[in-house]
Amino acid sequence: MERAERQRVVVVGGGTSGWMTAAALAKLLPRRCTVDLVESEAIGIIGVGEATLPHIRAFNERLGIAEAEFMAATRATFKLGIEFRDWARIGDSYIHPFGTFGRGTGEVQFHHYYMRLLHAGVALPPIEAFSMACSLARANRFGAPAADPRQIASTFGYAYQFDAVAFAPYLRRLAEGLGARRTEGRIVDVARDPLSGDVTAVVLEDGRRVAGDLFVDCSGFVALLIGKAMGEPFDDWSRWLPADRAVAMPCRTATAVTPYTSAIAMPSGWRWRIPLQHRTGNGYVFASDFLDEGAAADALVAAVEGTPLAEPRVLRFKAGRRARSWVNNVVAIGLASGFLEPLESTSLYLVQQAITALVELFPERRIAAADRNEFNRLVAMEYDRVRDFLILHYHATQRDDSPFWEYVRTMEIPASLAEKMALFRRRGRVVKYRQGAFLDASWVSVYLGQRVLPDGHDPRADGPTIDSLAAGMERLRGEIEAAIGGMADHRDFLAGYCPMPVAA
Amino acid sequence: MLDAPIRSVAVVGGGIVGWSAAVALRRRVPRLEVTILASPPAPDALADRMPQTLPSTIGFHDDLGLREEDAVVRAGGAWRLGTLFEGWVEGLPPYVHAYGSYGRPFGTASFHQHWVRAAHVGAAAPFDSHAPAAALARAGRLGTGATDPLLGDVQPGLVLDVERYRAMLAAFARHLGVGVREGTVAAVQLRGDDGFVERLVLDDGTTLKADLYVDASGPAAMVRGAIDQEREDWSAWLRCDRLVIGEGAPEPLSPLDRVTATDGGWRWRSAAPGRTLHGHCYAVAALSDAAVRDALAVAGATTVAAPVSFRQGTRPAPWARNCVAVGDAATVIEPLDFTNLHLAQSAIDRIVAMLPGRACHPLELADYNRQASAEVTRVRDFVLCHYATARRPGPFWQPPTHLPESLDRTLRLFAERGRLPFFEEETFARDDWLALLLGQGVVPRRVDPLIDVTAAADSDRAMAAYRVAIAQAVARCPTADEYLATARKRLAR
Repeated sequence: MERAERQRVVVVGGGTSGWMTAAALAKLLPRRCTVDLVESEAIGIIGVGEATLPHIRAFNERLGIAEAEFMAATRATFKLGIEFRDWARIGDSYIHPFGTFGRGTGEVQFHHYYMRLLHAGVALPPIEAFSMACSLARANRFGAPAADPRQIASTFGYAYQFDAVAFAPYLRRLAEGLGARRTEGRIVDVARDPLSGDVTAVVLEDGRRVAGDLFVDCSGFVALLIGKAMGEPFDDWSRWLPADRAVAMPCRTATAVTPYTSAIAMPSGWRWRIPLQHRTGNGYVFASDFLDEGAAADALVAAVEGTPLAEPRVLRFKAGRRARSWVNNVVAIGLASGFLEPLESTSLYLVQQAITALVELFPERRIAAADRNEFNRLVAMEYDRVRDFLILHYHATQRDDSPFWEYVRTMEIPASLAEKMALFRRRGRVVKYRQGAFLDASWVSVYLGQRVLPDGHDPRADGPTIDSLAAGMERLRGEIEAAIGGMADHRDFLAGYCPMPVAA
Repeated sequence: MLDAPIRSVAVVGGGIVGWSAAVALRRRVPRLEVTILASPPAPDALADRMPQTLPSTIGFHDDLGLREEDAVVRAGGAWRLGTLFEGWVEGLPPYVHAYGSYGRPFGTASFHQHWVRAAHVGAAAPFDSHAPAAALARAGRLGTGATDPLLGDVQPGLVLDVERYRAMLAAFARHLGVGVREGTVAAVQLRGDDGFVERLVLDDGTTLKADLYVDASGPAAMVRGAIDQEREDWSAWLRCDRLVIGEGAPEPLSPLDRVTATDGGWRWRSAAPGRTLHGHCYAVAALSDAAVRDALAVAGATTVAAPVSFRQGTRPAPWARNCVAVGDAATVIEPLDFTNLHLAQSAIDRIVAMLPGRACHPLELADYNRQASAEVTRVRDFVLCHYATARRPGPFWQPPTHLPESLDRTLRLFAERGRLPFFEEETFARDDWLALLLGQGVVPRRVDPLIDVTAAADSDRAMAAYRVAIAQAVARCPTADEYLATARKRLAR
């Protein structure tokens, strides 16, 4: 196919989502489209140290990205889950694992047996002791998951913690190698067809125009196309997710390079800790109704470990999503499409899901409504499911030590979430979905980790005797311990597998 | 304070649905007292009468610890791999919907997109010639991954000898300690305060009382119907309302059933051990009982049962208070694609997995009903899709003007670009939908752009090579008669 017959895709914005989009389109649809990406070096990117979900591995694989090389280039570390500290009560800590509790294979979910023993008065450690992923994370070790499903070491997955500032250039090299073209410049105007309302070109400060057939808005919070040009409304979720600011500050990695991200509850929000090979990303996500920016920065500086590498930087946002992410010939991906705080590391997951949907629903020049509608349905569903999961973290608390926690503990929550929580409280039932970022084990970990305890359990868990169940749990512990014993310290593993360039 | 656990269940209905429910609840929920009221199954309870099942029935047996020897071979059953649909679209050859994969993935796009691209230039071999299960079925053979790894995902369903199968389940139920009562329901007494079922009064004046009632009594829904009669009617979409079942002389066994579109309905024919099964499903407004009787005789049926009437539809809330409907008491659907027993067994699995407490809390029931409805809706869509995409003359065959939203969206997206939207609780996998849609000539307008990176000639070579590999694997497999004979010999040893 001649280049002229291909659709001209213009990606607006060159942050992580912009370059992920450009690389994916250039790699997967080379004959269908040309890719132009417009970015301005004068505009910074949000990238503050990125924690991801295991899905990112499939994305990288599809793009032909070699893991060790990618990890070295982005100073990445492995991630087995997220530690939540002080959420239900000050002093609490649990890990949301990328993996199962127990083996994850039986007809009855593990937590029902666990609850049965607790209800029978058997003393047990926290449920994370029966998760390979959690136990491995707590041991500060790492090893590749086993392929044999009979081994306990097959019951976990992993993601990465990496430097977003290094990831965008990495993807840029890849995308440009695949034929994507980059245009430097600040966009000052958007030209639209007066009849259809489609965007025809973006106009740069120096008068140049970048014309296209399909425009992907990766411009971040400013939402240059989907918001400013198209005026697509934004559904505001801040009544449930009141955090609207973050103050970020990296530090030299002084303490352990943990194979997990930490989310530590704070008086007016929470603080992230993302350990990379060369530094640790820190930030305080807070609600400006409850705390001003200066006080938040002070609180962050007081809390972080290690020598600060930069001044605290403030980011402003609002939780919610566009009613539709694809309007006319404008597809919004990333922050232009919606924002959910990085509490469960979903930012890049949502970007990736949108890119996958765009690739699978890539339109013809005359865009079919069926494509657009399906894309919007998929993207909205992903956001909505993550939303409920995030609200759960705030609402399932016993904290009353600050006005912020008073608010989230007592606020009205969406009916969809209220029903999920009530079902779990009764008999430990997790509402079943096959699609969406977070499946059963994720919900169980947060419920139990935040003291939402079921009154009952699945009656089928009453089958085995108490003694045989307790013995089974003991054996499982042994298997997990043995598997962990064979794995390396996380930092040693990184040093052998993907050391960052010495000069970095 | 959490409500107390359910300790006793009464299953109403002595067909294979009722016995399946009794066995599953007794076997899979510890310390549950199960009583069955084994009333003879109603003639219009299709899930109790249809012999053909989907592959999920074997999984249902596995969960009960029922071995193939007992559930299939000793009970007079055999295996089926799919259905040949003929005459559904004028001008197109018959196609096979078989249980297993269609094509194997290569390149970056899904297999069917390679096929669609070839179809656009008129160069595609039949889509079902890329399905190992379909090729086996057409050849009248049976095989597994043990014969050839290429057959590894072939999933057989069953043809039951319904009467012997029922007897097998009944014997198993008694062995497990299920209490058996004979008789029929004369009255349902509801509690005054909350309208829960208090007790059943039987025709002999005795009573039956339990914490939970599972209504497997057929379309009459003897127990569930006493609570309410809410029903979603499908007859504007699914117009068949009559069924005749017959039998004829045995023929060589075949794992391939034949489903032939006729004026006013469709007819089936399945080879079973010792006999051939016949049936005709139709709209009585479009086809007379006498014409059906004649057509079945011509097809080879020597005995024909009396016609039964039905009206297709479902209960949006199969579970209300302390009563849950399964089988035809929950959903009446024509046996096209033989989903009747599958829906019943799936409901039974769901009851086992979601058993609430004695209070049957509305939230727990709502979650059950949500899943059950989602499943039933998509099975309806799949069955309806045969009609929505059929092309035959006559008013009966004119597609309905307004399809359900979920099917409409499926068809639009598929016709546009060969994509199938995802639904929760979907029974039929992507390849089942592809077999149906591509078999009935719904070829997507566009080819998936992801396929560009593979040259068309490479796709064609890969597809041809796969067809050759399938043919070689099929040739190594025994005929269905040999396969059954071997299984019987294993029993004898």
